[in-house]
Amino acid sequence: MPENEPAQKKIGVYLCRCGGNIGDVIDLQAVADSLKRENVIVNIQDYLCSSAGQEKIKNDIEKGKTDRALIGSCSPKLHLETFRSMAKNAGLNPSLLEITNIREQASWVHDKESKESVNSKARGLIKGAVARISSIEALVPLEKKLVDRTLVVGGGIAGITTALELADGHEVMLIEKQPYLGGHMIGLSKTFPTLDCSQCILTPKMVAVHNHPGITMLTQTEVADVKGSAGDYSITLKHSPRYVDIKKCISCGACARKCPSGAIFLPFAQAVPQAYMIDMSKCKNCGACVKVCPRDAIDLDAKETTSSVSVGAVAIATGFEPINPSFIEEYNYPAPNLLTAVQFEEMLSAKSKTGMRLQKADGTFPDRVAFVLCAGSRDFTGRGKKYCSKVCCIYSQKQAQLVKKMKEDAEAWIFYIDMRSAGRRFEEFYHHTQEKGVNYVRGKVAEIIPQKDSTLMVQYEDTNLGMKGREIFDMVVLCPALVPSAGTKELADKLGVPLGDDGFVEEKHVKLDPVNTLNQSVFAAGCVLGPKDIHDSVTEGISAAHKVSQFLGKGMILIPPEKPMILECNGCGDCVKACPYNALALEGGKAVLSPLACTGCGVCVPACPIKGIEIRNFTRNQLKTQLKAILGEGPGVIVFIDPYAYAAADIAGVNRRQYSSLIRFVSVPSIHILDADVINAAFEHGASGVMLIEGTTDEKLTSRSDELYKKLKKDTRKHKKPLRYSHIETAQYEKLTDLLNVFAAQAGAKAEKRSRKEQADEKESAAE
Amino acid sequence: MRKETILPESKDTAFRDLIIKSPGGEKIPTCMQCGICAGSCPVSHEMDYTPRQLVRMIQLGLRKEVLNSNTVWICTTCFSCSVRCPRGIHPTELMETLKPIAMSEGIRNKNAKFDNVFSDVIKKNGRASEFLLISKYSLSEPGMIKQAPFGFSLFSKGKLPLSVDKMEDTGELDAIFKLGEKTEEKAETKTNPGKKETGEKENAEPETEK
Repeated sequence: MPENEPAQKKIGVYLCRCGGNIGDVIDLQAVADSLKRENVIVNIQDYLCSSAGQEKIKNDIEKGKTDRALIGSCSPKLHLETFRSMAKNAGLNPSLLEITNIREQASWVHDKESKESVNSKARGLIKGAVARISSIEALVPLEKKLVDRTLVVGGGIAGITTALELADGHEVMLIEKQPYLGGHMIGLSKTFPTLDCSQCILTPKMVAVHNHPGITMLTQTEVADVKGSAGDYSITLKHSPRYVDIKKCISCGACARKCPSGAIFLPFAQAVPQAYMIDMSKCKNCGACVKVCPRDAIDLDAKETTSSVSVGAVAIATGFEPINPSFIEEYNYPAPNLLTAVQFEEMLSAKSKTGMRLQKADGTFPDRVAFVLCAGSRDFTGRGKKYCSKVCCIYSQKQAQLVKKMKEDAEAWIFYIDMRSAGRRFEEFYHHTQEKGVNYVRGKVAEIIPQKDSTLMVQYEDTNLGMKGREIFDMVVLCPALVPSAGTKELADKLGVPLGDDGFVEEKHVKLDPVNTLNQSVFAAGCVLGPKDIHDSVTEGISAAHKVSQFLGKGMILIPPEKPMILECNGCGDCVKACPYNALALEGGKAVLSPLACTGCGVCVPACPIKGIEIRNFTRNQLKTQLKAILGEGPGVIVFIDPYAYAAADIAGVNRRQYSSLIRFVSVPSIHILDADVINAAFEHGASGVMLIEGTTDEKLTSRSDELYKKLKKDTRKHKKPLRYSHIETAQYEKLTDLLNVFAAQAGAKAEKRSRKEQADEKESAAE
Repeated sequence: MRKETILPESKDTAFRDLIIKSPGGEKIPTCMQCGICAGSCPVSHEMDYTPRQLVRMIQLGLRKEVLNSNTVWICTTCFSCSVRCPRGIHPTELMETLKPIAMSEGIRNKNAKFDNVFSDVIKKNGRASEFLLISKYSLSEPGMIKQAPFGFSLFSKGKLPLSVDKMEDTGELDAIFKLGEKTEEKAETKTNPGKKETGEKENAEPETEK
């Protein structure tokens, strides 16, 4: 702690009722009263985030009543930035304003507990935070220069939009896994609610991407590895071979005419890039194409290659894929004339292999077509997906209209549970589809039985009538649940971006920050954020481009200043060896930190044999002071939690997942800053158990966690109290609350056993 | 079928809560009425209310309609509904929860009677006997007299043998039935407090329905 700080700090504690979200559960007045002896000023407001609430804090700071502000409110992930920028405007160093979360991690998650236990938790958390804020020092964030280049991952409509919107002001690299641009949209026929054709509106955009001087477009390319940190990534890209040089190929088709096995082809007429490609599983390596090519564009020996690009921001637009419905046994997929909606669309799209004709396996037109909604969606048994895939209600009506348009007397049936065609112009579309004579049946299809003549029998209950029914169809179209495309998880892990429990990228804020991720330099757009239609994907693409532009426009990125400080050094080099990011080096026999390379993970803290390293504002003493104050308000379980797992606890709060009110979270930048000193202090101050919860997916850290846990367990054994480590990613909030409950019960039982034993011992010694 | 109007007083929230708290009942409030249970059921066309409608009536607490319906007695316990329900509801288990309640309420519709006769025959002989089944059931259900010509024609073709097949040792079977009765007793003691609550809570019902 710097010594030149004034001895008497003026701490202002501001508590928020959050309407009734906090105030109805926690007795804030009692919390305020409990702080009387602490020599702080306390203020309670209905909505601290409102202008009146912020004004109050601002006034206190400006009038010199407060020089450190503690806010008890919702999660800091929501409003910390808001409050800190207010503090900065009022002339207070933003790092001297902190938030204690008493909503997502207290008032929302302890419904089933007694009022007193929730109140004592709130008092403990606030007192701990007061103790902490009086011990911290004012820090200034570090600045790092941004690389003004953006990598857009995914060349569907969302990625194309992001790239085009961004490219006029910033350099863009757009990569796509497939050999052509367009994503799923290029495989669509007509688009709802206007019935204009997909390629008519998409191909001009694909060509624009291809021709834009600010966009480097790479197909058959994926992210292989990510190095560096926010604002300055070095990304390794992997390129699968096409065997045809895109720049040389003029699509003359000479090669395809000569190929004896149909291995060389143009993906489809409007494909961008306009170049042939080879399917090596069909190629006989005869070399006929190589000889005939007038541009010498073909190389049959091409291999997978890699390249590297440095970027300041990444936009993920990797989209969706349909779930394979074969796990739904009663639907008997795959079978002749039983398709997914994606296959139905492709038959009528630019990618069509039937000349854009709707046909059965035998080549004839299906006279009776059924659309089966919610195939694998809205399922809470673990068999399918919980969520509604949002677009199926409306696209199945469009597909039904197409059937009727192609043959007026053909029958189209839609089996639905709830007809969800909400949105501008969608109810009108529903109405129009009804006018066209499409049959609607309210009921989830129970069985689809393929018949010997390749028709399909569909069995269902018409739930409006309460009657069971059976129909024979020529074609049945399943509308499968839409899931994040394969590889989403791997990419997100590489970029340090948490996913939700549904596998889609987690937004920074569900409503207010919909295209930001929890990594400040990574953005997302389109179906990787959840199933949606073209309109919404485009809207998000434009939003993401704006957010990236805003981010890069600052030119600098602020790096959290909570870095290690080297107080004492004997030059042993242990910390240098331990640092996973090569941020420490020995210079003149002493360890020296390069702050920009450092992520503040704190591995060096317990590594130092003379305890000479501390993380600023998370020093051993600061943590111990906080623990003592928290546990002074009654026993509890101390849970050290890193920012990724903290986000999981917030999601648990938003979903009102209940857990024991004994749980007291202590937020740390990483669990690796902890050593036995701190854990022992927690036990000494009365913690009935300690948990370390880590959410980061950074392997450089998680690979060390087991070792850390074993060491801590050994060094804290004397207390005979439970210590546990768990890896919980942001998506696993349900697992988190289950774990918290189990551990709180275990710790409680153990504590009870111990106190009974102590009582027995006391009696025994009294008897003696 | 005459249909009643659903009124605040026709709802029995205590009954609803009792069923929801019974094993496998906790997911009943999440039913979205998709009808895959009824569509999968091989005998739902014989039921006066399909399994889906039964679940809906429980959500509303329509005690009288639920307990008097023939649904629980028609169910063949094939489990198709339970396996396919996307909300994890177990209609098959629900039927087993409702049967003893209906019995303890003294509900004796023809399907319940058939169920009783059938289990009596099994209890005594260990095996089903068409002859015993039909004759005993006809005694308790007068409407069966209309089926007499059909019975004679079955008999004349040797499809209704008079001989009664019996298990050699019914000891183990007796033990199973005793165990069943014990469980039933437990279920009954559980339902009784529910009955009392019904009376007390009647006035509060409209409010809880909001």
